[in-house]
Amino acid sequence: MGSRWIWRALALPGLAWLAVFFIVAFYAIISVGLGNVTTLYQPVPHWNPLDWNVGYIWEALKSVVPGGGTWHTFLRTVIYVFVAVTLSLAIGYPVAWYAARHAGRWRGPILVLLVLPFWISYLMRMFAWTNLLADNGYATRALHTLSIDTLFQKVGLLDGTDWLGGQHIAVILALVYGYVPYLILPLFAALDRIDQRFIEAARDLGASPAGAFWRVVVPLSKTGTLAGIVLIALPMFGDYYTPDLISGSPKTAILGNAINGYVQGGPDKSLGAALTLLLSAFLLIFMLYYLRVIRADQRAAAGAG
Amino acid sequence: MNEPSKPPDEGLSRRSLFRRGGALAATAGIGAALAGCENTTTPVAANGAGAGGGKGILGDPTAGGPVDSAGIPLARRDYPVVLPKLGDVVASSAKPERGGELQIYNYADYINPAVIKEFGKREGVSVRVTTFDTLDEAFSKLSTGRLEFDVIFSTPDQLSRLVGRKLVQPLNYELIPNLQKNVWPELHSPFYDVGPRYSVPYVTYTTGIAWRNDLLDFDPSKLEQPWEAFWSPQAEKYRGKVAILDDSREAPGMALMRRGVTDLNTEDPELLQRAGKDLEELNGKVGVKVSIADYETVPAGRVLLHQGWSGDMIAGVISYMPKGVKPDVLSYWYQTQGGPIFNDCICVAANAAKPVIAHRLLNYILDNKVAYDNFAGYVGYQPPLNAIDGGKLLSDGLVPKTLSQAVVTREAFANGNAYLTLSAKGLQLWDHTWTSFRNG
Repeated sequence: MGSRWIWRALALPGLAWLAVFFIVAFYAIISVGLGNVTTLYQPVPHWNPLDWNVGYIWEALKSVVPGGGTWHTFLRTVIYVFVAVTLSLAIGYPVAWYAARHAGRWRGPILVLLVLPFWISYLMRMFAWTNLLADNGYATRALHTLSIDTLFQKVGLLDGTDWLGGQHIAVILALVYGYVPYLILPLFAALDRIDQRFIEAARDLGASPAGAFWRVVVPLSKTGTLAGIVLIALPMFGDYYTPDLISGSPKTAILGNAINGYVQGGPDKSLGAALTLLLSAFLLIFMLYYLRVIRADQRAAAGAG
Repeated sequence: MNEPSKPPDEGLSRRSLFRRGGALAATAGIGAALAGCENTTTPVAANGAGAGGGKGILGDPTAGGPVDSAGIPLARRDYPVVLPKLGDVVASSAKPERGGELQIYNYADYINPAVIKEFGKREGVSVRVTTFDTLDEAFSKLSTGRLEFDVIFSTPDQLSRLVGRKLVQPLNYELIPNLQKNVWPELHSPFYDVGPRYSVPYVTYTTGIAWRNDLLDFDPSKLEQPWEAFWSPQAEKYRGKVAILDDSREAPGMALMRRGVTDLNTEDPELLQRAGKDLEELNGKVGVKVSIADYETVPAGRVLLHQGWSGDMIAGVISYMPKGVKPDVLSYWYQTQGGPIFNDCICVAANAAKPVIAHRLLNYILDNKVAYDNFAGYVGYQPPLNAIDGGKLLSDGLVPKTLSQAVVTREAFANGNAYLTLSAKGLQLWDHTWTSFRNG
């Protein structure tokens, strides 16, 4: 009884922190998105749920369906994030697998390398690319020497020769580059936890190495993979500075850019807040799926135990 | 869908007008002077008319000028506005406050730190500059009433709402003699603040076309309609290296000027719809970027053709030329008849803790030498002072010949156009034009 009280007390600061910096802040967005504006277009938050005005939510909703003003932006966001997450998985999974299982004495150095990107701010890393990918930048020249730019042009992934000139592919690759470390770490943790004996048992029972991987490792790492995906997909959906820095063209604007545009200035701050709420609701669907999978997993584990 | 919003009972609402109206005997406001004006637009008379209340704005019968339906003054060059005098000015004999911190609210990098430091030393105060990104952000934050600044940098189109929300205080111009002494006469009593009552001008600028004359193989200024450069077939070669200003007025405004529209404050939905379409066309043609970093990207050669501000080009020369690149690779064109040209302004906050020192800073910034140091040593935006000689800027080599049009002249100022306060409806119209382009 006594120890339980201590644990509760210990959780209190964290909960208070969350309450103040997440719940209150989020409630402020709700109150603005469901509020009104003055004649000078300054938002008037409606703190009382009884006063909520769904006008802006409705407006935001109408803008993200086909034919609406941000429909293309929304579609672009979903495609960018989907492609970027898929590419991140394709890159991240083998790295995590290698680091967890086969790195041997390189395990330590590889882990350090994986953590290294966190030492430099995301923004600085993106700024670096604006110089590397400039016309006479090192990366541009290297890509040209390797004919990668011409290859990309041939298959229609690059429009013209300018990597920073509003290219979808540049923005997607920048997203992958920026977020892939966040995927690898939870993946590494999940793969590292898998009991080697499960794989050995699969092999003993006649599974090929590939079969053991697909039928034992992949399912066992499912929660870790999902956690990694959630960890990178959520910030990608809200990102706006990556397209701003790597492209700066309306052709690559995503929802984050639209929200940023509305909130930064002009008469549509409430619409920006409403769009934020809508995006949160959209992401909540995926979040619920993730939570359900985890629960099912835990239940299965408990059942097995 | 959205109920027309009810303004909270503050600012320039009609109600407060009624409450105060008639308290003072009516004197001839600017409204009377306006009656003689000939113009195509009809100014709403200084409230009163139709409202049944007193004359003037916000209960000040000496105030007047065109206002929109919400009571916000819409100053135009040919329809000047006398802003209502809300509150008392500091006494001419008031002693400057000593010690402590003078708080300034400004854009980043928009005042020379050396100038500030020198002022602080001279007045025995430390000076702190807090920065904002956009004027809208500044207004929102100031409106909360929780920020305490002494000096606020802003623009004339913001002035009426700053006054309406009582965020700035009327000035005692006896403490700012440099205004009369040094500033261009046309800005002694500008149309957006007749008197003046609340502001002094800070720096001037034009909006034009900036380009790298060594990397672009055509000269936009040689085109029959230079704004057309962005839509021209010559520009298509420079896909990805063409940019327009990330600004809800400037970008649609350029599309309007391209079509020969001269009213940069139009609220005609058809014109703006076409402007929006014209901007979208730039996506396909040149993969246009939106940016306000012209001071850096053009000198660096990352953008070769940029709708840009005159002061940004001179700032580029002062601080942003890459090693080995001469400043005369930068060119600038400005539409000398009817192009966008205007000035920024400085105000004293209503709740200033050091109003006297704040007045003294305004005066200090309008000192000939200080203003020049601020301009040529750092900011790049030219103050509207008689002592600043455009020809000398060129012969001294501060401004290369290729940027001669980035020098703001009184003549251009007299013939120019400006983006001014819009009615609430107009503001939304411009903003929707802009966001629907900006969201791709």
